[in-house]
Amino acid sequence: MSPLDETTTSAPLPEVALRCEGITKSFQGVSAVTGATFDVPKSQITALIGPNGAGKTTLVNILSGSMKCDGGTEFIGDVEVTNKESYEIARLGLMRTFQLSRELGGLTVLENLLVAPKHQAGESLLNIFFRPGKMKSVERANVQRALEILRTYGLYKLRDNRARELSGGQKKLLEISRAVMASPTIMLLDEPMAGVNPALIDRIGGYILDLKSQGVTLLMVEHNLNVVEKICDHVIVLAEGRTLATGRLEELRANEEVVKAYLGEVIDVNTAR
Amino acid sequence: MTLFWLSFGFGLVTASVLSIAAVGLSLQFGITNYINFAYGDFMALGAFFTYVLNAEILHWNFWVAMVFGSLFVGVFAVIISRLILSPFARRFDKTFYVLIVTFGLSLILLNVIYSIWGANVRFYNVPINRAMHIGPLLLTRDQLIVMAIAIAVMAAIAVMLKTTRLGKSMRAMSDNTTLAMTSGIDTKRITTITWFLSGTLAGLAGAVLGLTEGNLTPASGELFLFVIFAAVIVGGVGSIYGAMAGAVLIGLATEVSAAFIDPAYKLDVAFVILILTLLFRPSGLFARQGKV
Amino acid sequence: MSAFWYYVFTLVFFLFDYFILAMGLNIQYGETGILNFAYIGFVAIGAYVTGAVSLPNSVGTGQHYILGWGLPFPVNLLIGGLTASAFAVIVALISLRRLRTDYLAMVLISLSLVLYDICNNFVPLFNGADGLYNVPEPMAKALHLNTNSFIWFFALVAGGISLIMWFVMSRITRSPLGRTLRAIRDDEVVAAALGKNVFRYQLTSMLIGSFYAGIGGGLLIQFGGSFNPTAWLPGETFVVFAVIIVGGVGNNWGLLIGALVVEVLLVHLPTFLPAIPGHAGLIEYIDAMLIGVLLMVMLWFRPQGLVPERLRRSPAEETTSRSTLDDFDLTEFESKIAAQSRVDSDEAGGRHEPA
Repeated sequence: MSPLDETTTSAPLPEVALRCEGITKSFQGVSAVTGATFDVPKSQITALIGPNGAGKTTLVNILSGSMKCDGGTEFIGDVEVTNKESYEIARLGLMRTFQLSRELGGLTVLENLLVAPKHQAGESLLNIFFRPGKMKSVERANVQRALEILRTYGLYKLRDNRARELSGGQKKLLEISRAVMASPTIMLLDEPMAGVNPALIDRIGGYILDLKSQGVTLLMVEHNLNVVEKICDHVIVLAEGRTLATGRLEELRANEEVVKAYLGEVIDVNTAR
Repeated sequence: MTLFWLSFGFGLVTASVLSIAAVGLSLQFGITNYINFAYGDFMALGAFFTYVLNAEILHWNFWVAMVFGSLFVGVFAVIISRLILSPFARRFDKTFYVLIVTFGLSLILLNVIYSIWGANVRFYNVPINRAMHIGPLLLTRDQLIVMAIAIAVMAAIAVMLKTTRLGKSMRAMSDNTTLAMTSGIDTKRITTITWFLSGTLAGLAGAVLGLTEGNLTPASGELFLFVIFAAVIVGGVGSIYGAMAGAVLIGLATEVSAAFIDPAYKLDVAFVILILTLLFRPSGLFARQGKV
Repeated sequence: MSAFWYYVFTLVFFLFDYFILAMGLNIQYGETGILNFAYIGFVAIGAYVTGAVSLPNSVGTGQHYILGWGLPFPVNLLIGGLTASAFAVIVALISLRRLRTDYLAMVLISLSLVLYDICNNFVPLFNGADGLYNVPEPMAKALHLNTNSFIWFFALVAGGISLIMWFVMSRITRSPLGRTLRAIRDDEVVAAALGKNVFRYQLTSMLIGSFYAGIGGGLLIQFGGSFNPTAWLPGETFVVFAVIIVGGVGNNWGLLIGALVVEVLLVHLPTFLPAIPGHAGLIEYIDAMLIGVLLMVMLWFRPQGLVPERLRRSPAEETTSRSTLDDFDLTEFESKIAAQSRVDSDEAGGRHEPA
């Protein structure tokens, strides 16, 4: 039985983990995002869907801080984080993965994870030379945790391999496990299933559900509506750079505007001929 | 006030030399997406090729020698890019490898020039010409010709970029190389042509630099390189018009400042302007998105 | 002491000195990915300040320079190192934040040229083109050393200092800080996305690396007793890059070997050869060309250097419960596919770490 066959229910009136209002962004006169407004409910799995060119990845970049928006606001919980630097947003607990996996190639798989924890004692010169004991104990704890996570994601055997030597699917798993290592409260996953073989899709879906059960809020950009249907509690539709509709997938399928925006754009295994 | 106009005149001359050099560098950077740190040495090569034709072996008229000297560097640039630079650029996906290679190339070229011609100062074989009054400015005939050449080159490049198919292909490649490739543009051919242009302009700039400075040494090009960088960055990296504007600004500023401070440091003024630009308007005057 | 031993100890000194210089550039470029094309400028600052601080007041010496506090060794050396560091902070604050690799390299090389220009022309600073000379040999009077014995004495001092500095650098590169620097080198966007304040780490790297540059420079002026602009044309930065690239980035043994090959064998050994009559300096020119060629050859055929970067293995396994997913077949299957495609594509097509 595949983990994706678990049914999901949404909690009544969930808290909002991440909110954005009126986000706009243009590049040299071309508008990529024209007005994105939505709430991402806490501890649930939300999908961000929409036709190609709708501005989804740009939005993920903006929400995670690696790009600045031209207008609008963003809140993590009660804290305004509009246009904060990506490292500041990451420190507030928001982790993102990239559409094309970006592994830290020269480092080993284990080291990739070990970079993730925040405020490591060993990152300060003072601790390196004057408190080596503290540095070592923090490092030991991090290594233990990292090895556990690697075991969970099936990468334990590759822990000493250089990250660049991994296959595409393994890099995807590394990408996710690295974000998990940072103990996120919110995870932005940019097409986590893109380009992976079907067996791995099942597995990644399972990991995402596990994360939800641990209380992590997940927002995933996804094209595969089959996956969205199976694991997502909530869906946000983005088209032409703005929020078109939000709600549960069944409701949205009936929404004419959504269907129009989507014509011929996505894989929908259930209705494909 | 006369001193100001005198400096202004020199400024126009420096701006002329700078603009030729800056446009050559900008064109190449736009297409290949890495800076050629050996560019100053390409200039020196042009100066010395011209020297050989003008004062050493053949004794041609300077302007004729200059044309051929520049073209030699154009061909040389194509050879170097095909043999060394492009292979390195293709092989590593981080640009800093090819940057180090250009840095190394610079060292090699400089020392090749030293080996052949030694460290002594050389002079072009040109007839002495008197300075003439053009309005408030005081310029020699040679300086005026250099300015005319610069204007002609700028105009030719601008026209080429805007109207010819080659120019449009270059602009397309500069914007988005992959897209250009899939649109059927022969990127390899365009790259070769760009290197030829860049090398020729470098050689030309080197020759006129030697003429306007009154002397040439193997290191002249390298020492001038940072002024070119300043012009390109202040003007806005990636923009040809920015390079031209930057050249005029830096050229005038350095020479006019020489009227007020010790002339030995006039080139360093370019660096000060560069730093100020970085602090207050880091994208430069005409920055292009995607290049910064 | 015979001429032979004089040469040998001179070479030994340069080996240690360039080892220190290489470690400094390595933390900036090899560990953090900063293309510091102005590195030699920081070396020069270290040299000039170390010298100027140990010389007596300039009045009456026939030279012009600032400072002139007559401080002894090793105080002057430390001041030289710290000054280079301070300068690096200013440079980093202005340029590191705003520029990506190429433009940063352009600005830094410009900085190097301008610094050179100023030191060469502005006489009141460090005596202009003549440079500083008659810099007192450290501890020579106290230990009654003559020129010959000073050479081997100071070569050993340099060795000792480089040993300490190697130890310090080792601790840094093996620590989580070193790992974070390498993460920034490999992909600074990812490092930022993981919560690292990239600029602060780059600044730290510049600070430490420039301190090493300053110390290396200070040792140079203390060994030779003089330092002038011809010793640090901006192209000299390239020699240090060559040391790192030939020897191997991110590995201290590699740096030592790189220093041996490039600095000692290529740069200094030939200066002991007799000059070719009628062609002054030809040997130096050919030398410099060879370094450039060697570097390109190394980058093409063995970019990781003679001694590649160490693989940092995980600590020995502690027995805890093993998940059944450990032996997940898909992962192994994919590993085999990955291994096969690696063999097919070979290094030329793949991505590289800057090693």
